[in-house]
Amino acid sequence: MRNPLSPASLLESASESSYVRSLVVGTVGVLAALGVLGLAFPESVFGDLAGIVFSTSTGASTARLAAPIVLAGLGGIFAEKSGVINIGLEGLLIISAFVSVYAASVVGVGNAVLGVPALVIAFLAGIAASTFLAAVFAVVCIEFKADQIIAGLAVWLIALGLAPFMSTVFFGGVNTPNLGVSVGWKYSATMVVLATLGSWWLLNRTAFGKHLRAAGENPKALDTVGVSVSKVRYAGVLLSGVLSGVGGSALALSIGQFVGSGETMVQGKGFIAIVAYLFGNYNPLGTLGAGVLFAGLDAMQIRLQQLGYAIPDTLVQTIPYVVVIVVLALVGRTQIPEAAGEHYETEE
Amino acid sequence: MNPAVHLDGITKRFPGVVANDDVDLAVERGSVHALLGENGAGKTTLMNVLYGLYQPTEGTVRLDGEPQSFDSPRDAIDAGVGMIHQHFMLVDPMTVWENVVLGNEPKTWGGLRVDREAAREAVVELSERYGFDVDPDATIADISVGEQQRVEILKALYRGADVLIMDEPTAVLTPQEVDELYGVFDELTEQGKTIIFISHKLGEALSAADDITVLRDGVNVGTVAAADVTREELAEMMVGREVLMDPATSPQEAGDRVLEVTDLDVEDDRGVEAVSDLSFELRGGEILGVAGVDGNGQSQLVEAITGLREAASGDVRYRGESMVGKTRRDRIDRGMAFIPEDRQERGLVMSYDLVENGILGSQHDPPFANGGRLDWNASRDHAEAVIEQYDVRPPDADAEAESLSGGNQQKFIVGREFERDPELVVATHPTRGVDIGSTEFLHDRLLELRAEGKAVLLVSSKLDEVQGLSDRLAVMHEGEFTGIVDPATVTEEEIGLLMAGESLDDDSVEGAAIHDAAGGGTDDTPGDGSDGADDASRDGIDGATGGDEGVDA
Repeated sequence: MRNPLSPASLLESASESSYVRSLVVGTVGVLAALGVLGLAFPESVFGDLAGIVFSTSTGASTARLAAPIVLAGLGGIFAEKSGVINIGLEGLLIISAFVSVYAASVVGVGNAVLGVPALVIAFLAGIAASTFLAAVFAVVCIEFKADQIIAGLAVWLIALGLAPFMSTVFFGGVNTPNLGVSVGWKYSATMVVLATLGSWWLLNRTAFGKHLRAAGENPKALDTVGVSVSKVRYAGVLLSGVLSGVGGSALALSIGQFVGSGETMVQGKGFIAIVAYLFGNYNPLGTLGAGVLFAGLDAMQIRLQQLGYAIPDTLVQTIPYVVVIVVLALVGRTQIPEAAGEHYETEE
Repeated sequence: MNPAVHLDGITKRFPGVVANDDVDLAVERGSVHALLGENGAGKTTLMNVLYGLYQPTEGTVRLDGEPQSFDSPRDAIDAGVGMIHQHFMLVDPMTVWENVVLGNEPKTWGGLRVDREAAREAVVELSERYGFDVDPDATIADISVGEQQRVEILKALYRGADVLIMDEPTAVLTPQEVDELYGVFDELTEQGKTIIFISHKLGEALSAADDITVLRDGVNVGTVAAADVTREELAEMMVGREVLMDPATSPQEAGDRVLEVTDLDVEDDRGVEAVSDLSFELRGGEILGVAGVDGNGQSQLVEAITGLREAASGDVRYRGESMVGKTRRDRIDRGMAFIPEDRQERGLVMSYDLVENGILGSQHDPPFANGGRLDWNASRDHAEAVIEQYDVRPPDADAEAESLSGGNQQKFIVGREFERDPELVVATHPTRGVDIGSTEFLHDRLLELRAEGKAVLLVSSKLDEVQGLSDRLAVMHEGEFTGIVDPATVTEEEIGLLMAGESLDDDSVEGAAIHDAAGGGTDDTPGDGSDGADDASRDGIDGATGGDEGVDA
């Protein structure tokens, strides 16, 4: 019998499926084709496109835009794997984006509290706000057995209303003033990569990861071996709050401002995060890939506008959703946890 | 020496109900003990007390003479009591070893990593010690039900179980798998483990257990050694009166051809062929039994016949008329009655009362439909008639379907369908979850329909039921009939082989297969063949879960 613990099969299980592999190969292939076309016809659209794709500024803005998508997506994996579908990720990003900026302005950029720099405090505050909102969501869903979809929508709508409102109260407008700080893209990229690897480890190598999966697939099996399903699910949802908090704070602090008009600066990234982890088949590595892909498309769109191409941004923003519909319909390989969305109650 | 398990005067009261009343139970170390009783007799409650899920109202649980007080299953597990539930508590997409160690994973790196090598090693070692043939790296979803059960046993053993409680362990197994399970029992008891299993099947208690305790209405009726008791005596203990074990069928001429199925192909929800190229016919006054392990295409066959699922190809002719393209309603109107396998999903609307449920399927017809509105008085009369005739309890037409017990729901559905005055009855698992007394009654009603010249297609995973009632017995495996045999002469082993997909080249059985609907072979009394009191797997495979059968109603 082949030993499944050998290095070769470990690598295999890391990429987990041919699905993720074909995703990676496809992306690399498209980029390569674009590069060749761009070099061959430098004056054409392809030339411009290639110039954009391979420019460092596009890379930097991709990293910046990918942070909230990937981090919230990783959070979504934890919640959904545990059996709680968290479609409130968008709300978590919004609230943490605002609170981090607010905290930074209260402390004062450049100051420190007890030796902790303002930006670190801003991050911690953003994470705390997001985690608190996630905790409320968790209590409503797990303790009071509310419908997860409705509660998730409520989280989004609450944050969508509350963040601009608080901004108006504290700063006199839905947009906060620019604090003049900017967390560099290298920090965003580092956080994203570390969080992805950490999530992968947590899900695939630790006992907690096994419990999480069992809670989402067959909670009764977990309960009968003496592990509390509620605790595991709380942990899953809170982790989604923590990760989304990092993502939302990173998004706001990368430009030093919270923009609260319209859909706020988050602009549906929380929903794209859901798309990203579905597209990535609940695998953190796949989620990273999908998040970078979607963020890259967005970054490209911005650059194209700057070059004078009249690309409708609203249309570009629908791409992730179209992609996920196509993927779900044609590939159909994403594996939604069996008990996701279902309440669980211990028999007594 | 103290018994391994000693339940001393256990009483368990729930608000308004006494589930266990002063029950004593002593089980010797290294023995197999069957806890026998009808549904609702209190078997499971008693075992839940032993497993720490319930605290007894009165009485003491002793293990090896030591009084125990369990607050939760965790305590019971720590004290060496393991429970194997009827519906396996396994996580399908995870591997065997992951499931076995779930919740008790060996860890390294200060808890940051599951020690996969050690976990796998422990599982391999355990399965070798008890002679289990289980691949530790297989995914649960990919292994057979019998193997899944062994994984459940491994789970209990891994947690140090000394006493194993098994709830209806044979419910989902083929006869061969049942035999293997008994082998596992031997292996376990040889190594000093004690096994208590819950059952409502006489045959398996007699063949697998050393001692049998019968519970009725929460009271211990008696404990007997399996060697000293007969099937009939046990049945009497369970029911409290004498039970006719075998329905009395009488020879009968088959009538006109009622149902004719030709080259039928049916796909399941995933588009996989579930019924392949199946042909048979069924005449009036005949019962055709279909046996087989659940999930071998029986559901899809029944759905194609009753109009719940479109056949991919082939023809279903009912009384000479092709049913292709005919809707469910067309078929009901033509006198096709249907007892569905999932009564809560398809048989009843759970939130409707019995008056409303009683006219489901007849709501377009007089006397219930009356000029565009429903005649509730007629509906009520109808429901009350069914309730009375079929002994549905509580006898309250205003009760919501969900407030009835499973057995009473079933009786109500059977009553409703039989009272349609059908020409063809398609009955799937008509007595699943129904107690012995009611089963007897439902069997008699099926035989009455047969005597009236109606055709009955009886799909059941209870072998004794299909064997005892049918004129001909078809065994289904992977969408095909592996054989149509004479239920009076076929043996349990032969049916088991057919269920496993093997064909019989034995002459006697082939002879039976040839005498199709002509009625010639139905002169035998099927009951004759089914008095094997000690037959191990007589009612081997009951109560499987629906699996991936489609529910598109």
